[in-house]
Amino acid sequence: MNTKMRLLKRELDYQILILPVLIFYLLFCVYPFFSTFYYSFTDYSNMKLDNLKFVGFDNFKGIFDSDLLTISIKNSIIYAILMTVFQTSLGLILAVFLDRKLKTKNILRSMFFLPAVFSPLIIGYLWSYIMSTSDFGLINRAVTALGFAKINFLGNPDLALYSVVGTQLWQWTGWAMVIFLANLQSIPKDLYEAAEIDGANSWGKFWRVTLPLMQPSVNVVSVTAIIGGLKVFDIIFALTEGGPGNSTQTIMTAYIKTVFTEGFYAKGAAFGVVFFIAVMIITMVMMSFLKKWGEQTR
Amino acid sequence: MNTKWLRKWGNPLFELCMIIAALITFIPIYYLIVTTFKTPDQATLFPLSLPTTFNFGNYAEAWSTMQYPRVFMNTLIVTVLSVLGIVLFSSMAAYALARRNHAFNRFLFYFFLAGMMVPFQMGLVNLYKLINALGLMDHLAAVTVVNIGTGSIIAIFLFHSFFLSSVPIELEEAAFIDGCSVFKTFWLIAFPLLKPVIATVVILSTLNVWNDFMNPLLFLQSRENNVILLEVFRNVGQFSVDWTSLFPMLLMGVAPLMIFYLAMQKYIIKGVAAGALKG
Repeated sequence: MNTKMRLLKRELDYQILILPVLIFYLLFCVYPFFSTFYYSFTDYSNMKLDNLKFVGFDNFKGIFDSDLLTISIKNSIIYAILMTVFQTSLGLILAVFLDRKLKTKNILRSMFFLPAVFSPLIIGYLWSYIMSTSDFGLINRAVTALGFAKINFLGNPDLALYSVVGTQLWQWTGWAMVIFLANLQSIPKDLYEAAEIDGANSWGKFWRVTLPLMQPSVNVVSVTAIIGGLKVFDIIFALTEGGPGNSTQTIMTAYIKTVFTEGFYAKGAAFGVVFFIAVMIITMVMMSFLKKWGEQTR
Repeated sequence: MNTKWLRKWGNPLFELCMIIAALITFIPIYYLIVTTFKTPDQATLFPLSLPTTFNFGNYAEAWSTMQYPRVFMNTLIVTVLSVLGIVLFSSMAAYALARRNHAFNRFLFYFFLAGMMVPFQMGLVNLYKLINALGLMDHLAAVTVVNIGTGSIIAIFLFHSFFLSSVPIELEEAAFIDGCSVFKTFWLIAFPLLKPVIATVVILSTLNVWNDFMNPLLFLQSRENNVILLEVFRNVGQFSVDWTSLFPMLLMGVAPLMIFYLAMQKYIIKGVAAGALKG
């Protein structure tokens, strides 16, 4: 009996260790998340805070009628796909290049990674100057010096989204590179020797040995890139605030606008639910795609 | 002949290309730094040249406009408390989840993990209401508690896998036989063994918390309680024309992390890689 009590006490002590983080997690992540589903079916707004009425799917219909959401979903998807494709491929190329025997490789790695430690907000402000068409627009000064016409990176609705992607790639490619490098260094050297004996050239070694063994890091980088891409906020806030027009509006910026600027809480909540469903679908498609790729290369 | 030339010069040439690429990547940061010392005229005429005279007036102005010591302290307080909370609470939970692996704890573990997939931002309205109801609005604690809630997810995962792979259970069993309580065993025996993974968690959470803009934007309102990024944000509209005054503010906004990075780059790069590949 005594030992039983002692074991029970010990079990309880273990569960007490879990408690603090569970409370923080439940309060500040789980509860806000789930109550969003509830509010998305009501008429909650800053005009109407009490006596909420259930309005069924009206908020969802309202969203799909408005341009803001359709455009922002489209933009977010384009943005996330571009980020994933380019961050993964450029990061991989950089990592393979810097995995070679170079005298300056440590300095080079540090330089490529440096932008990743900065706040996206400040990076956004800095680049809005670098890409500007005015006197201090560094890129446009180079462009005009070469005899071309100025490019309106952030003011042209057809170009603005891609300019933001470019800025983000400048910031995050080094992050991907570091993750790929760590994975590259874990590949046993004798696999390359074996491939060489089989007559593989460097291309062959890359496709047959390197890439298949890079699967863990490719998974990590591409999944975080796509989720991060869908959630992007700071950099757009700093570079374009969603403009010109709504051309760089993404789900997060449109959500903040609907909720905090316009005060449509319920509509914002419906927005959040659509956001959640989009992230879930895209992540699952992505994971199943990566899984297939993993099986193929094995 | 051709291959001989390539063998001799190929690698140095390749290295030169990489150095040029790195330098091009570095231009925006270089531009940010040199501009802060220039007058508007100098900066417009020779944007990329080194400053001929060092004009520290821009910095003095930015320092007082931003009320830098105060916003720096606020950011530091939020970061230190958040990171401490994340490290302590998630390692405790991960310890229990790793050592008591019954059905309920397995459920809890996956319940935490699910947070990695869920875009928690979709709950911002209700989080805002909750913070208000708790009386934490415009208080540094608001940002801190939210950071602990969201930042712990990845930390739990990292600590959990480290307990299973690298912390031997024998010492803990011996401690139990000697009559050590669960808490004492965790704190005196298990926790000190976590050093390598604590470094990773500290680095990842510091970067996330320090650079987080959304939570301060929503939960901090008065100038007394704002953080560095909020101060930069509030000054940008005002100084957007007077850009040589703005650049020192941008630089002072990134400087603390830049110094942190330069001092610890080896550990940061290692920590990020370890965090990603284990998490």
